Formats: sequence, C-alpha cells, structure tokens
Amino acid sequence: MNYFYEILNKRIGYSRVGRIKLSKEPKKYVKTPNVILPMRNFLMKDINFLEGFEDHGIFLISKEVFLKIGFLRDKFKNTTFIFTHTGTLQTFIEILENNIDIFSEDNIILLIPFNIPTTILDGNFAKNEILYHLKSVKKLLENFPNLNFGLSIKIFEHPQFLDLYSPLIKENKNIKLLNLLDFFTTNTNFKNVLDLIISIKQNFDNNLVLMASGRIIPKYFPILIYLGIDLIDSSYLLYLTSENFYDTIEFVLPIHKVKYFPCSCVACQSKLKNFQSLKYSDEIFEYLCLHNLITAKTYMNKIKQYLRTEDFRAFVEKTSFDDVLIVSILKVLDRQYFDLIKYETPITDSFSTVKCFGPSSYYRPDFQQFRERLINYFSPETWTKLIIIFPCSAKKPYSASKSHKKFQSILRKFPDFPGFQEIILTSPLGAIPRQLENIYPVNSYDISVTGFWDNEEIDLASQMLVELLKKYNTKIPIICHVSDKGYKEIVLRAQKQLPNQFYFTEVYKNLTTSDSLKSLENIVKNLKDSFDLKENIPKYYSKSWVRKLVKIADYQFGSNIGMKIFSKGIKVKKNDARKNLDIIDIENKKLLGKFLVKTGQIELTLNGAEILSAIDKEFNILVFDGDLIKGNTLFRPGIVEFSQNLIPNNYVIILDKSKKSVIGLAKLIVGSNYIKNSSNGRIAKVYEKIS
Amino acid sequence: MKKSVNSNTIVENIKAIRDRTILKRKKFTNDQLNKPVSFWIKDDRLLNEKGKEFTIILRTKGCSWALSDSGGCSMCGYINDSSIENIDDKHIINQVNHAFQSKLEEIRNEGKNFILKIFNSGSFFDESEISEEVRNHIYQKVYESDNIEEFVIESRLEYISKMKLIDLKNQLNNKYIELAIGLETVNDYIRNTYINKAMFYDDFLKVFRICKEIGIGVRVYLLFKSPFLNEQGAIDDCVKSIINLVNLGVDTISINPINIQKGTLLEYLWYQNRYRPPWFYSLFKSLRKIHELKKDSTFPRLISNPSGAGTKRGIHNCLKRECNQKMINILRNFVLSQDFNYLNKKDAYYDCDCLTRYRLQKNFH
Repeated sequence: MNYFYEILNKRIGYSRVGRIKLSKEPKKYVKTPNVILPMRNFLMKDINFLEGFEDHGIFLISKEVFLKIGFLRDKFKNTTFIFTHTGTLQTFIEILENNIDIFSEDNIILLIPFNIPTTILDGNFAKNEILYHLKSVKKLLENFPNLNFGLSIKIFEHPQFLDLYSPLIKENKNIKLLNLLDFFTTNTNFKNVLDLIISIKQNFDNNLVLMASGRIIPKYFPILIYLGIDLIDSSYLLYLTSENFYDTIEFVLPIHKVKYFPCSCVACQSKLKNFQSLKYSDEIFEYLCLHNLITAKTYMNKIKQYLRTEDFRAFVEKTSFDDVLIVSILKVLDRQYFDLIKYETPITDSFSTVKCFGPSSYYRPDFQQFRERLINYFSPETWTKLIIIFPCSAKKPYSASKSHKKFQSILRKFPDFPGFQEIILTSPLGAIPRQLENIYPVNSYDISVTGFWDNEEIDLASQMLVELLKKYNTKIPIICHVSDKGYKEIVLRAQKQLPNQFYFTEVYKNLTTSDSLKSLENIVKNLKDSFDLKENIPKYYSKSWVRKLVKIADYQFGSNIGMKIFSKGIKVKKNDARKNLDIIDIENKKLLGKFLVKTGQIELTLNGAEILSAIDKEFNILVFDGDLIKGNTLFRPGIVEFSQNLIPNNYVIILDKSKKSVIGLAKLIVGSNYIKNSSNGRIAKVYEKIS
Repeated sequence: MKKSVNSNTIVENIKAIRDRTILKRKKFTNDQLNKPVSFWIKDDRLLNEKGKEFTIILRTKGCSWALSDSGGCSMCGYINDSSIENIDDKHIINQVNHAFQSKLEEIRNEGKNFILKIFNSGSFFDESEISEEVRNHIYQKVYESDNIEEFVIESRLEYISKMKLIDLKNQLNNKYIELAIGLETVNDYIRNTYINKAMFYDDFLKVFRICKEIGIGVRVYLLFKSPFLNEQGAIDDCVKSIINLVNLGVDTISINPINIQKGTLLEYLWYQNRYRPPWFYSLFKSLRKIHELKKDSTFPRLISNPSGAGTKRGIHNCLKRECNQKMINILRNFVLSQDFNYLNKKDAYYDCDCLTRYRLQKNFH
C-alpha cells in the first residue's frame, strides 16, 4: 500500500490518532501524535539519553554526519528521522545531492527548510521572501519527484500568505508533511493560529502530516494536538536548557529557583540538584537537557493516553487554566468555527465520564453538536398531551437515579403515561427529552452541582427549552417539578418567550419528599386530559425503550426517520452477553439493528438499512465504486460519492455504484470534510456487508 | 548597472533611519576636516609574511550609495563619519599629510614592511569623494614611502574604470596594489535584498578580470552574518562565498563579522532583539570547514579584523572578557600566521562553558 500517513481514529476537535509508514521494515510505523526529539552530538555521548530514548520513534537531525549509513542502518533501523538543515536552502540541496542514495532508501523524511529571512520588515517584504523561496523549492521538488518531502511554512503572522504556498502543495504530491514554523509561541496572535489551521484543513489534503516547530514549550502540546498537529518538534527545549530553565509543564523556572523538584526522572534523581547552584556549566546543561526532553516525552505519552481512553477535550481545558492564549483559542474555535469543526468531532465517544469544568466546557464541539442535532432532528411524538420538566441527576442515565425513579413511579401510575413528554433540564447540555437520556454525551457527562448557576448556563438551557417547546402545540400544559433557583430561572426565562401555560408543583423541602411527589401527582391528574388529543398512541409505541429507540434513530439518521424504519413495530430484547439491545421487527421478526449501550448508538443491520435507504437516499451514505465490498475497511479511492453531513463515529449506509442497492454498513472513522480533502486513507470500518 | 532584485520595503526603512540620523548630525569644524577620521599602525598579514598595517580612514563627503535615494547598505553606519557636504580637496590632502606626518617616524623605526590601507568608507574612485588631484597626491606619498610594500584602496564597482586602474598601476608600479571590493557575499539575493548593495556578481567578475589583466590584486570583503541570516545561514554563506572566491583566484579575502553601527537598519533590528551579532564559534567553524573542503587548494590571504569584537555590538561569544579575548587572540594568530591549526577545536582555548550554550542555542539565533 502506497501511503505515507494513515488516520486511525478521529478525536474531538481536529485531534487525530494516526501513523506514518516510513521504516524499511514491514509494518513498522511511527504513531502520531508524537514529539520529535533533537539528535545532537553531545546528546549521543550521554548514556542516559541513549538509554532513555532508544525506543523513541522519531528524531530530528540536522547534521550530515548523522547520515552515515552505518549509524542509521545499524543503530536506528526502526526509528524515523526527519532531516533538515538549519541554514540556507542551497546548502540543504547540496547535502541532498551528496547523499541521494541514503535519502532514497532509508527511513528519513527530508524537511525543506525555510530559515531565512529570520525576520521581516512588513507584509510586502514577507510576501516577496516567500515567493522567492518557493521558486527554489519548486525546482527542488521537480528535480526529485520520487522523494517524499516535508515543507516548512512561514507565514510571518499573515495567515493569508498560506495561499502563496497553495499551488506548490497541491501540485506536488511528494509533499507529505507541512512544518508550521513559529506559528505558535507565547506572543502569537491566536486568530492567526486558527485562520491558518482552518485554511489548511479546508483546502489541503487532510493526509498531510502537520508538524509544529519553533519556540514551543510542552505546555502547548495539548492545544496543538487539539488543533490537528501530528508531530511537535521539541528542539526549543535545548534553547531553554541553555538559559538554565527547568520545565515543569505548568511553568518554566530558572533552575536555581527550583526548591522542590516535581520530577523523578533520572536527571532530577541524580545530579541535577547538586549542580543547581552553578549558573552555567556543562554538567548542569547535560542533566537539565535530559530532564526537559524527558518531560516533553512523558507529557506526550500522557496526551496519547488521554486521546485513546479519556476525555481529551477536558484535558485541553485543564491546560488552559493557566494560559490565556489557550483559553482564547478554545473560545474562538468553539464559537466561531463550530460549523466547520462539527464535521471533525465524533458524534459519540466511549470514555467513562465527560467532564464539564465551567464556561470553557459549555461550547465544546460535541456538546454543541448534541444541542444542535437535538433541536434539528427531535420531533414531538404526535400523541403527546402533557409535558413535564424535571431537573437532572448526578447519576446517568437519569432514570437510574433515585430521584428520577421516584418521579417515574408517580407518572407510571397513569395508564396514559406514554402520552407524557418528560424534559430534563441540565447544564451545559440544555434540555433533554427523556428518550435521549441514554445517548452521548447525556449518558456520561459530569458537572459541579452547587446550586449556583451562571447566566450563560441558564441562558443556554432556557433557549434550548424554548426551541424544544416550540415544536409542541401551545395548548399542551407544561408542568415544572423543579425547586433549585437555577432551574426555576431557566423555566421562567422560557416562559417569557412562549404562550404555553406553565404549572409549578408545590415543593416541600425537596422534590422527592412524599408531599412534593403528591403535589406532582395531583397536578398531573388535573392536567393530563386538558389537552384535546386527536391522535392515539400507535400500537407498540407505548413502551419506554421503543419510544427511546425511535427518537435515537431520529437523532442519528434524521427527523422522523425512526418511526419510518420501525413503522411496523419493534420489540426490544436485551443481549445479555454484551448488554446491548436487539431491535426486532415485530412483523417479520427480523433484526433491524442493535442499540449499543456504551456508545448510545443504534447500529442498523442490513435489514434496517434497506428500509432507511428506501426512505432517504441522501442521508448518511457512501457510494462505493463497485458492487461488492472486500475486506472490513473502506478506503478513499473506493468512494465515488458521499453525503455532505458525515460525522466521525456515525453510521453510514454503503450503496453500490448505481445507488440502487445497499451493499454494506459501516461506522465512519472520519467526517465529510476529510473525505472531501483526501485522495486516500481509511474512511469507515465495515461491520456488515452483502456477500 | 542592472536593476536591484527586490523590494522597496528595505530601501524605505533604511532611508528613513538614515535620514533621521543625518538630521541629528553636527557639522564638522575646519580642524576636524583637516584630520582623518582615524589612523593607526598595528600588526597585520602581508601577502607572504607578517608585517604592519598603516591604515588611514579619510573623512570625505561620504559614500554616494549611502547618500543616494536608496539609503545605502543596511548595516553600514560609516556615513556618520562623513561630512555629507562637499569637502575641499585641500582638506583631504591635509588629512593624508597629517596621518603620514604623525606616523612617519614610527614607520621608519619599525624596520618592517608595511601595508598601507586608505579607506574612505566609500569609493576611492568616486570623483565626488576623492578627486584626481587628491588621488595623485596619495599615489605620490605611497610611491615615496620605501617601507610601504602593499597598497589597498576600496571602491564600489561603478566607479572603477580600466583607465583609472592603469593610471594607478603606472604610478605605483613599485608596489603591490590591491583593490578592495565590498562584495559581501557571492549570493546576489542576499547582497541586494538583505544588504541592499545593488551590486551583481557578474559585474564583480568583469572588474576582477580587468584587475587581473592589468596586474592589480583583488581583495574581497565578505560580510559574516548579514542581516536576516541566522547563525548557520551565516556559516553556509561564508563557506560558499570563500570556496567560490578561492576557485576564482582572488588574492585576499577579508571576512568582516557584523558590528552594529549607529543609525542603521541593522541597529534597529538589534534593538528589538531580532538580530544577534555572530558568535566567534561560527566564524571559526566556517574557516575550519573551508580548510577541510579545500585542503589541497592554494588559499588566498584570509584576514579578519572585526570591529567591536567581544562587545555586544560586535562578534562575541558570551560577554565574559576572558572568553572573547581568547577568541580575538586565536583569530589574530590565525590571520598573522595563516595557520589553520590555531582554529583547531581541541585547543585549550575552547574551554568556556558558553560553547555548550552556543551549541544549544545556535538554531535559534
């Protein structure tokens, strides 16, 4: 397979897990994201460095001496190197020409440098410099069409200059990596950072590996990865070392000010403490350098772990609490670029808890996606005659909590209970219909509950409540069983915008006392028949799980789709082994799909997909270039058409080339923006197909 | 002369700073105009042996390039020593006479051979700076000085004509003459875009050939670490330039590490921490590399007498006096002897802890 970079999983924001194939050995990869460690003569003489990093996957080399064949082939044949030159482009080309055999064969990525000029006078100057530089680069790429290159990009704080690189990048398929030089430092204009990233993601091949280098400290690693950076050059840590700085991630301190060493690495455990008082010495540089590089690598490992099994967005938010630049980036990315980033953010994830820390979490893309999708795709059950508003609970799903069990025990006393629409108010997800309490992120979020709400939380929830309630007949009564000041405020604000009648229960001490529950029961009794319902509950749709699955199907596949797929009636059967639920067509007993408890998604079978495809041929589809799928992965070259609204981790139907037949079902690895901006790579994991 | 390669931006910036500096200038008195800017005698490398240099810096009207609408070179502040206004020939003659009179005794007593360098921080052959009458007076002085074996003058290319060179050669046929040209680098782009020299390599080659034809030596000034270059870029540029010039067969290469002069664009960048003068280590690295690459070649005379060496504005390592003094000594020993062994890394001189800092920081300067 002829590829350079392959995406394995999409994560929240632009973050992604992937791998670069470079080594001569078969099946040897460098996983991304990753930190690139600088290789220097003096480090190579340090046994601690060699021992500590011998298994590290990727190094940066800038000296011709390291290209010696013996060194590369014998010691580091499983390692990837990025070779660049820190001086002129001309000298880089000379080195390339002198070592062409090595570069053609070995595990080295050639990174075209752009070191000169070191600074600019104004935008015009910068533009001319870029154009001049690109002339030489173009010649270089034309002379070596069979080598893969990385291209260093400088935009000199003018994101629009990315357009100058665009023709070169698009015309030369042997550019596999973009190195963003100095686009991210403590003095960076965060808007420039975002403009650049968005521009790259929207306009260039998304299989280009993104590398960041320059004055980057480990504190910024999480946000860089969130922005889609795959490789981070840690060479700046050598500079910090030379100025006697000790990196602790949260801050960078002069070594002589460090009283308590927060690290147990080999450098900190051994002689670093002893040399602390020496201002400039070779010994202190050696240990300090080792510590700083170990810190970078360890931190990257932590990030990689978070990406794989934990809530990475929460981790990035935590890092923002001591840096305003990160706060700004997250804020603007969330608010201004959501319409783009929603196609990068998985619709579901499967970590145990999604943490909300406050305002920084309200507009996380997965939360926004949830709120938007809910409003767009949730449609009222036509037999609804009463709406009841409850507060959320700490335990998820809400039905499993003691409080909600008590609420439901009251409501289930009424045989017309299926005609009641429960809506649960929560921060920061807003207003949740009961039917969607089992989906992501409702099923796994956690937020601090103190009784103190900020204005933004209240606003978010009340707006969502308004949007939801607007879908209902205004004559349907709305009962509010809430006591907390925050919840009440949400309802009162919604009330001001709606013509509906709101009825508040009497609360005695708290919502679950027998008196409070009695009040709820009485109000329900009095109001349940006040709305003149013209429609009866369809057969089979009175059961809670059936109601849920219909609305979950709407959420996943589109408004009102659920009733259409399950139009003949369904029964739900628990699959004990996997704790999932089988969805079975009552009439023909066919398995239409499964509800996966962990992810909160419906995974259709071919039976279910056939029905969905007959209803809507444009929603969530991939058109395959053929009639039969081989293997379990769908790759980009095999896709001839795709829906424009695809989101990672959502399910898709695969149609044949003629678009007449369903030939498979898959779970998306990537979203539609990636599919649009790539010519190869994994797109979806096929879980069912016709043979 | 061909049109300059690049943008008006650098010209505008240079000119703005230059104009501001010139405005603040005070007029020179008559007494000042009758004396050179500076003159000195010190050890130097003659073509084939150690000797002495007698250098005179004349105060003329000033470099025409610096006074033009271009603003001049981005790193040069020598215009600050010039009168700007037209200056009488008699003043310049007085300057030459003053220098000679002051040093005549010393020159005679030294018993060594001298190289006389007459610099006007402009162009010796520019009539607006040095007229024919003044030139002839200088030639006469040089001709009459027995101890003076070599004679060096400098000029921009556009003021050099075959006729003037022949005249010079004829008048000083008993001396070795070198024409110094501020080529700065063999790279046209760096020279014209970053230094704003408005000079092309092809034009230099034409002049070089004329000099060879007539029998006048060519001395090339190379600027070490031009503005907008980083440390490794400086090394690359220096190595490439010297190799080219060695292959070409120039007679002397004078490597001039940058020093930050007042009233220049470079000073403006330096104030903002956007430029750092080079490290000694980089200069020595360049020289060692050239020696390694051209081991079997005949080298021209390589000299380097950096201004401001060891200070923040000049070439320096750390700011420890001892470290920089060692470096200055190494360089001086190399220049006087032309022996590359003085630059050997294993020498005990390389024992300052700033060497490690240099290695760690180099990529960020």
